[in-house]
Amino acid sequence: MTCKQTTALVVEYLESDLSAAQRSILEHHLRDCVHCRQELASVQQTQASLRSWQEEPVPQWNRIPASLQPTEKRHRSPTLFGWQWVPLAASFLLALAVLLNVQISTTPDGIVVAFGGAAGVSEAGVSEVDVTEQLARFEEQQQQLQEEQLQAFTVRMEERQDAANARLMETMVSQFGETTSRSLEQVIAYVEEQRERDLQVLQSSYQQLADSDYETIRSVQQLATYVQYQAGSR
Amino acid sequence: MSHDESLISDALEGSARAWEALVKRYEARVYNFSLRLMGSQTDALDLMQEVFLGVFRNLHRFRGESLFTTWMFRIAHNKAVDMNRRRRLFSEHDFYGQQDADDEDSDPFEQFSSDHPQQDPAVRFSEERSNNDINRYLAALSWDQRLIVELKVFQSHTFEEIAELQSIPANTAKTRFYSALKKIRGLMEQEHDM
Repeated sequence: MTCKQTTALVVEYLESDLSAAQRSILEHHLRDCVHCRQELASVQQTQASLRSWQEEPVPQWNRIPASLQPTEKRHRSPTLFGWQWVPLAASFLLALAVLLNVQISTTPDGIVVAFGGAAGVSEAGVSEVDVTEQLARFEEQQQQLQEEQLQAFTVRMEERQDAANARLMETMVSQFGETTSRSLEQVIAYVEEQRERDLQVLQSSYQQLADSDYETIRSVQQLATYVQYQAGSR
Repeated sequence: MSHDESLISDALEGSARAWEALVKRYEARVYNFSLRLMGSQTDALDLMQEVFLGVFRNLHRFRGESLFTTWMFRIAHNKAVDMNRRRRLFSEHDFYGQQDADDEDSDPFEQFSSDHPQQDPAVRFSEERSNNDINRYLAALSWDQRLIVELKVFQSHTFEEIAELQSIPANTAKTRFYSALKKIRGLMEQEHDM
């Protein structure tokens, strides 16, 4: 048996995958050949070095998939999304006010609030035009508010991403002290690209949400028009 | 019914607590597997999350015909391969920038020569290595080599199991493993000589 043949069998020898005959020939060669003995020892040594890996602790992470989480836990973070209920609540109140025909007027005695057009205020006190104008103003305000919030949110996300990128790079550099500048550039480019995509996804999700709010406002407008029409025809 | 099977059964009925207990039993193994393959904490966390999500989604398919860990690590292996494939789409090289097709093609046994007597490696090195060192050695390997080292050294699979998992001949798995060990040994020697 040659040294080259022996070396080819080292892995199988360590796995005890050799036949008795092959094993015997190999062991005979190993007794006589210092190089092959060293080769065998070296393979064992390298595996032992790898096995000296110390188990790393698992960082904090979310173990529970969304479908197993209780409903209240599935809500998004209130710091980012808590204000989302405001336009919906306002739309609801507005719809309620229209349905109940709430009328507010000022008299020399103060402010009078009437329901169903019963007290003190004439039918003409609140016209269809008034409601439509108010709703249009409300929509405009909401639009402006949401645009401002979107901008603030985007800035916040960018800041968070920057901080996360910085942490990622620190970790990379500390783990791979000899990382070449090329692979570092690739990582940076990848992270930057990923960040852009994340922001685009967030913006489009937000836009969808905002659009659905506008839809609600438009529905309220249509409802108000209908109620006014019904009231006018009575 | 084993403890795993009991947890699986409860998790399938919607118990978050059972699922969490099941994850906690194995997350360290999956995380360390991921860390050695991906090289960074962030990517290891990504991979671990994908693995457990895959396990969760397929939990109803687990029939108990094999050990839960065997079944889970099959998913982990496939997720790791998928993630590496996705990463490669962003780069012409491995995530680590390694391009060692030469190593794959060459015969590792060619390097062995009796004209270069070596010192006894057991004398030259200490076995103990830090995790950072080990990760550095693994990072120097091609993805296929790294995966084989992980499966053989850390997951203690046989070459037949690796061959089946990766759909390659067992001899290819052995050659690849041996090439990987030789490369790592070369790195250790270089460091030692510096």
